[in-house]
Amino acid sequence: MARMTYLQAISDALRTEMRRDPNVFLIGEDIAVFGGAFKITQGFLQEFGEDRVIDTPISESGFVGAACAAATVGFRPVVEFQFIDFISCAFDQIVNYAAKCYYRWGIQMPVVLRGPTGGGVHAGPFHSQNPEAWFAHTPGLKVVLPSTARDAKGLLTAAIRDNNPVIYLENKFLYRHYREDVPEGEHVTPIGVAALRTVGDDLSIISYGATVHHCVEAARMLEKEGASVEVLDLRSLVPLDRKAILESVRKTSRALVVHEANLTAGFGGEVAALIAQEAFEYLDAPVTRVASLDVPVPFSPPLEMAMLPSVDKIANAARSVLAY
Amino acid sequence: MSHPSPKITLPDYPAELQADPRDLPYDKAQLTRFYVAMKLARTFEEKLGALYRQGKVNGAVYLGMGQEATSVGSVSALKDGDFFTTVARNLSAFFYKGIEPRDVMARWMGKDIPPSNGRELGLFLADIKNFGIPPYHNGSMASWIPSGAGYALAFKLRKQPNVMAAFTGDGATSPGDFYEGLNFAAIHKLPLVIICEVNQFAYSTSIAKQMPVVNVADRAPAFNIYAETHFGNDLFLVIEAAQRGIEHARSGKGPALIEFKTFRQRGHGEHDDMAYVPEELRDFWAERDPIKMYREWLLKRASFTTSELESTETQVEADVESAITYAESLPMPKPESVTERLFAPSPHDPDPNQAAPYEPIDHPSIPGLTAAQDKSEGGHF
Ligand SMILES: Cc1ncc(C[n+]2csc(CCOP(=O)(O)OP(=O)(O)O)c2C)c(N)n1
Ligand SMILES: [Mg+2]
Repeated sequence: MARMTYLQAISDALRTEMRRDPNVFLIGEDIAVFGGAFKITQGFLQEFGEDRVIDTPISESGFVGAACAAATVGFRPVVEFQFIDFISCAFDQIVNYAAKCYYRWGIQMPVVLRGPTGGGVHAGPFHSQNPEAWFAHTPGLKVVLPSTARDAKGLLTAAIRDNNPVIYLENKFLYRHYREDVPEGEHVTPIGVAALRTVGDDLSIISYGATVHHCVEAARMLEKEGASVEVLDLRSLVPLDRKAILESVRKTSRALVVHEANLTAGFGGEVAALIAQEAFEYLDAPVTRVASLDVPVPFSPPLEMAMLPSVDKIANAARSVLAY
Repeated sequence: MSHPSPKITLPDYPAELQADPRDLPYDKAQLTRFYVAMKLARTFEEKLGALYRQGKVNGAVYLGMGQEATSVGSVSALKDGDFFTTVARNLSAFFYKGIEPRDVMARWMGKDIPPSNGRELGLFLADIKNFGIPPYHNGSMASWIPSGAGYALAFKLRKQPNVMAAFTGDGATSPGDFYEGLNFAAIHKLPLVIICEVNQFAYSTSIAKQMPVVNVADRAPAFNIYAETHFGNDLFLVIEAAQRGIEHARSGKGPALIEFKTFRQRGHGEHDDMAYVPEELRDFWAERDPIKMYREWLLKRASFTTSELESTETQVEADVESAITYAESLPMPKPESVTERLFAPSPHDPDPNQAAPYEPIDHPSIPGLTAAQDKSEGGHF
């Protein structure tokens, strides 16, 4: 084990896989000489050389399309978006090329598309978004969102080894705020397996990404108030660990779904629908959601804080569900 | 390190302004106006950087120090009714056009002032009515070239003798939007002027890693458009080139691409120490600082006195200080305002209390709908 930040865990996964498999290469803006806007690939150019750590012009559609193609002929490219907000510039290559290639022709495309998501750092409308629902809605893409350093490493390793396009969404607030012991060397977190972060009998809080930590915090507060709360971290949206969700809800009979992305047409609606359909007779309260308000992420701190979910908002919603 | 920075060759740009004051149509007031806009931006940005380091400005700040001449010179060539859009390095263009430093400072502090009331960074502004700055998508690089074409199209359709000038970085010439927007504008001979500020870097990426040509203007033949390349730290060269490009576009001959070589004196943002920028390059451009050069010229060639300039500079300092005091005194936006003004009210907005109307379908049965397989010939794509 080694103590690592979430960010270091991402670097560690990339480095370990690049040492293990010569077909892995990295491509993106300012990743080589500069080591990446967040310094995830610092020192990689020196170790792996410029054929495997490729600086690009500002051309997301161009380098995503190129990486996807290389993936069909034996490479395992990992694409970095400087901010995930600019993934929209490559939308066509992702949803119409990457997502459909294997389905149409049976040709595998093992490419990882990764980058920083999330708000709370006062970065304004174009450096704060959470786009997971756009991609979860597109059949053919796997979508993963680590909430811990261990999973950041394990899921990225699994994503690189996966034979499909994987959208790997990092949370930039967690980059340097979250630190824990992470297994050294190869470490895999299978894609499609959720994890329980707390165990309890009265309420299931289902979340993923950064808000998992808010949920755990809220669970601790509620525990002091006498409630026993289970926090399930989905880790992967596609494939979704339906079994884990349903087992938890069938046990607790109450469900609260939480994510940082805004509410409407967010992935939480999918989870709520699954519970409503498959665990209806077990429920003692309406399935409830906490998410960001349905507006772009504003710059000014009071606005941004009002928009984002918080421990208090989650705890309050949980209290209502528990009291129903 | 196994990857030393590439050998650099420095161009032979002079360190002094070349223009002969007797050839220029500017009176003293106008020469002062140029100076004030540039100096105000420089002073403002120095302060802004300090406020950011003190934690008084949130998020990240991006400064345009070193590019004041390209900004001021270019917008000075615009006429009434013309539009322009800025990117990260054009604060002096804001000031030249009369945008108040105190309003910009308040926006940087996230204060509750229009038009964005805390929603957008101090860097970005859209205000057509007062300043001719149309709204554009300033997040993704080059996304403003298609919209620039759109504003130019509007001028053409309305037969307005105006132009749309879009500032653009060197890095922003790489995304597909740059080509799509410019191609469209060229085909339709739209009055779009791209002011391309080649400040040597896009974040950490050098020109050589950004484009396979030496000059952005080398790409102009592919669009069959007018293009010029110049040293961008000589204010008068900038003004003249911008005027030619703007008048070309205004006369209905189609887009112009005016490229200026300049230098980003600070990091990409204030979090960036720009360690990747070679010392000799910094020194070369420090000697060719646009404000320093212009100041020298005012003193040596345009009979300004040191005390005149010093009193202007004192005034500029005071203006920036009072901008800060003013901005600090303003309230932050109210948290509950976050959900306001998402959609503009529209004439057919439904009444939220109205029940869903009963509107039966005229032809409830479509032939073939229930058939196991559609036997039509196909080919309906
Ligand atoms: C499509 C897209 N990708 C990445 C970014 C992140 N980004 C912001 S500014 C920038 C560099 C821009 O360089 P340039 O166009 O030369 O302008 P400069 O900053 O030098 O003024 C990058 C990569 C972005 N804004 N948009
Ligand atoms: Mg640049």
